[in-house]
Amino acid sequence: MTHLGRTELVDYVEASPALSQDHRRHVETCETCRAEADVLRTVRALAQADHAPEPSPLFWDHFAARVSDAVRDEVPGTASQAGTRWFATWVAAATMAVVIMMTVVWRTPLHAPGPVAVAVPVVDATGTDPSAFLIPDDVEADEAWAVVRTAAQDLGWDDAHAEGLDARPGAAEGVALELTADERFELGRLIDEALKRNGV
Amino acid sequence: MALVEACLAGRREAFDALVQRHQRHVYQLCYRFAGNHEDASDLAQDAFVRAYRGLNSFKGRSAFGTWLYRIAVNVCLNRAALRAPKLAALEFADHTDHRIERADTTLLRAERAVEVRAAIARLPKKQRATLILRVYHELPHEQIAEIVGSSVGAAKANFFHALANLRKLLRVRS
Repeated sequence: MTHLGRTELVDYVEASPALSQDHRRHVETCETCRAEADVLRTVRALAQADHAPEPSPLFWDHFAARVSDAVRDEVPGTASQAGTRWFATWVAAATMAVVIMMTVVWRTPLHAPGPVAVAVPVVDATGTDPSAFLIPDDVEADEAWAVVRTAAQDLGWDDAHAEGLDARPGAAEGVALELTADERFELGRLIDEALKRNGV
Repeated sequence: MALVEACLAGRREAFDALVQRHQRHVYQLCYRFAGNHEDASDLAQDAFVRAYRGLNSFKGRSAFGTWLYRIAVNVCLNRAALRAPKLAALEFADHTDHRIERADTTLLRAERAVEVRAAIARLPKKQRATLILRVYHELPHEQIAEIVGSSVGAAKANFFHALANLRKLLRVRS
């Protein structure tokens, strides 16, 4: 029998009834697994030995009063809709960013032969800073992502689905493909302008 | 669920009762992430305020405590400042009977506690949350999986990796 996996080792260390008899018998005869389990048990015991201090009994009344004050002017159950709106805004922005990036990739064949001065209604992206769409190396350190994460953290998936928000593979590509050639050309031109203006 | 419904119906005292019932656990959880009393009480308050605002998204599919833990874990993990928690040294000694323990033993225990907390603070987020919920709150893996949004198997694997990483950070030898 092969050695215990990660979940089986955890079950063994915690004496969980979920561990099968076969695995239990294996540990009895396998020094490697027993040594591994012993180390995990030791580390767990080390962590467990650290007790957090108990605040003063007076703290709890003070704390409850603080929370009560903090929610005094709040209406219970108002975060979900707000979160959904934020989430929807973010999904729309992310989709737009992907469309723009894909258009940049496609713009070379779109330039030739280009149509002459076509007036097409296009989302105003001229004021958009292209660097805003770059994914930072450490996404957790990105403030924009922190805003999105904070807004979405209380949003349940069920609520999101109820609002029609879900991520489907290829959704962004689908949006891009719905643009006409003229629209793609105009979008490419706007992006070119923005890139030149920013010296990219 | 009755308290939640009462709260949504506008009875503020119902939320006060929920706070009274859960404040200790939420505070203790936040303390494990923050490492000091001031930040822990701020985080716990934030968790309750967010819970209040999001009460109508609680559908009763899990226990209210589980739902609240989930919010508190998210609040703690999202607080950027907690990447380098300000650990309150020696506070742990409050649980020790100083009359019978030698001073050097107390000091060693305190140093070890600070090392352990610093090591836990360096764990990846999900591993840290899983370890705290399992070791200090003794929650079953099933409930931890609900809180961190993973499968039970993934919760156990996270716990394994948390212990394995802690072993390296604390240089525990076999």
